[in-house]
Amino acid sequence: MKLRKNFLIILVLTLCLLLSVGTALAKPVTITFWHAMSGSRLGVLESIIESFNATHPDYEVTPLFTGTYAETLTKYVAAYPSKTGPNIVQVYEVGTQTMIDSDAITPVYQIPGMLGETWDWAQYVIPITNYYSVDGNLWSMPFNSSTAMLYYNKDLFEKAGLDPNKPPTTWKEMEEYGEKFLASGVVDHVYSTGWPDWIFEQALAIHDHLYADNDNGRSGLAKKVVFNDDFGHMIFDTWTRLHNKGIYIFGGTEYDANSAFISGQIAMFIQSTSSLAGIIKASKFEVGTSFYPRFEGYPVGNAIIGGGSLWVTKGQSEEELRGVWEFLKYLGQKDIAIQWHKGTGYFPVSGAALKTLLDEGWFSEDQAYLTAFLQILSGKRDTAASTGVRLGPFVAMREDLVSGLEKALAGVLSPKDALNEAAEKMNLKLKDYLELHGK
Amino acid sequence: MNEDRFPGHKFLPYLLIAPSIVVIFIFLIGPFGQSIYESFFVSTPFGTRTIYVGLRNYIRLFSSPDYLNSVTATFKFAAFVIIIGLSISLAIAQLLNQKIRGVGFYQVALIWTYAISPTIAGVIWASMFAPATGLIPYIVSKLSGGYTLNWMTNGQLALFIVALAATWKMLGYNIIFFLAGLQNVPNEFLEAAQIDGASPWKAFWRITFPMLSPTTSFLLFVNMLYAFFQVFGLIDIMTRGGPGNATELLVYKLYRDGFIHLNTGFASAQSFVIFFVISVVAIIQLRIVTQKTIYYR
Repeated sequence: MKLRKNFLIILVLTLCLLLSVGTALAKPVTITFWHAMSGSRLGVLESIIESFNATHPDYEVTPLFTGTYAETLTKYVAAYPSKTGPNIVQVYEVGTQTMIDSDAITPVYQIPGMLGETWDWAQYVIPITNYYSVDGNLWSMPFNSSTAMLYYNKDLFEKAGLDPNKPPTTWKEMEEYGEKFLASGVVDHVYSTGWPDWIFEQALAIHDHLYADNDNGRSGLAKKVVFNDDFGHMIFDTWTRLHNKGIYIFGGTEYDANSAFISGQIAMFIQSTSSLAGIIKASKFEVGTSFYPRFEGYPVGNAIIGGGSLWVTKGQSEEELRGVWEFLKYLGQKDIAIQWHKGTGYFPVSGAALKTLLDEGWFSEDQAYLTAFLQILSGKRDTAASTGVRLGPFVAMREDLVSGLEKALAGVLSPKDALNEAAEKMNLKLKDYLELHGK
Repeated sequence: MNEDRFPGHKFLPYLLIAPSIVVIFIFLIGPFGQSIYESFFVSTPFGTRTIYVGLRNYIRLFSSPDYLNSVTATFKFAAFVIIIGLSISLAIAQLLNQKIRGVGFYQVALIWTYAISPTIAGVIWASMFAPATGLIPYIVSKLSGGYTLNWMTNGQLALFIVALAATWKMLGYNIIFFLAGLQNVPNEFLEAAQIDGASPWKAFWRITFPMLSPTTSFLLFVNMLYAFFQVFGLIDIMTRGGPGNATELLVYKLYRDGFIHLNTGFASAQSFVIFFVISVVAIIQLRIVTQKTIYYR
């Protein structure tokens, strides 16, 4: 017994000592930052943080990799009640409404005012800030944004007797090219996609078609989804038909199909622009990029963005908040934004960075990087449908859509029934969310 | 409790087991009680608002075709992993128990699958079956003249492949235990049977198999827990429950609803249902097994 008591006392003393040492050493204000960046992105992020810490001796940003986007959000939610969460957290775009409704964060647009500063938000790229804005005010700091585009293998185009400088621009052409490819025998399957749920959202947005009511959930909480109409059914029909012909091969929900494109098993690939740097580096053929294919004769909208943004936890001391703000401003600086873009393929968030990249000839050197910009900057920006979707239970709803598509492709349900079933499940989730969050 | 072992210290035994009781309460019974409590509520992810909904989470659960699919898939999966897995393991263990050249090599080669982490195993199987780049779809396509084997759009196939991977992953563990069990079967019995003219097949079923029953019953139990709970990593790496919920086993669905969709009430209800199902299966199994198991010595 005595031994155990002594042991306990020693344990407590050690803990006290450790804690006091910790506080004594913590001269610069520590800013904790939870993120979900892995792979080559992690190295770029870490070097940016290192240079911030070196140039800002008053603050010390300590990054922590907390798993995937979903895991990071789960950890943040779990840490919130005990106030053990970070100062800054990176959340993926589907978690946006959850964060807005969380009552756990300080909207970014309020921070300069709280610190007695003014800030010009117009210096950031508008279609990106729009996505994260409520009533024109920015709630989270855009950080890693991307959009979806068409990648194609120029070498395979030549082998199949197609013009490598004429990628398909419509879904009808996708089908025609697909049939030519299959007839030529160059590939067994012609195209695949990453993120089918997000690719579906893109298909709606670039035709200025709403996903959910209440302006895609942007003017108020959405009550139901509205994509299960003729247009939505046509998208599902087209994809299922292409799949049944062997042109489209379903390639998983995230980045599984990248390897199929890189190894030349498929000729075309619709994927996030953030895969560009990786694909160019890994593939032995000439990579072409183009806009996301359209359905002819439908209205023009805009490609929407995806990726992550940075949220600031509520209730920080003024010192901490100042550090957070310095860090957020630092990330938006021209050189840093350029470093981030070149290292990863994500958009540089500031307009100044974009101009510098243009001036130094970055885009003419490699046009593939330009496609993404032209795409988001060339469409409409003033409609809710082209700005993007914001829904509370979005993570779960996207899974319903993917399983609907999987059922249609597997032939378990007709494309129409599969989409309707998915919509029904999603509507129930919206109803539950409204019940909990409605005023 | 034997009083004589602790003369004059009536409470010492209680004190000594107190730490484990405390741990069990804090980490098992407490959270279990809380999840039963939470299964009657829905709440916002950050817990800012909580609404009492009575049995609605349970009603939703049982009226959801997805959940019933998940139950069926789980039982199919468990049956495959337990029955096929244990049969193959026993057969292999029997082969490894022979006096052949280089048996040590075969033993290690067959056992080490257990040492591979679920992540690695999942990646290996997933890349083997990757629709556009994998080896097996390639072979199938060449042999059949163009048939596309795509487990990402074929639910039954996906469930089968995941079950196969899970069985393979558990093979090493099962073989070790069967091998140990087989080596404990006294040789005299088998020799006596041989002299009496019993065929090896008969000797196996009449002597070896009954004498293995303690091992078999232990493995049955472990494999059931494995099939119900521990396959999580494999599913997460290989299919994430897809395609079309085909491989969304009970424990994986719970994880997605609770930790990805942040719907704690619904997930709590599921955890109680799983607890109930497992308890019933476990009790039945223990009953049958303790009646049928033969312990020698």
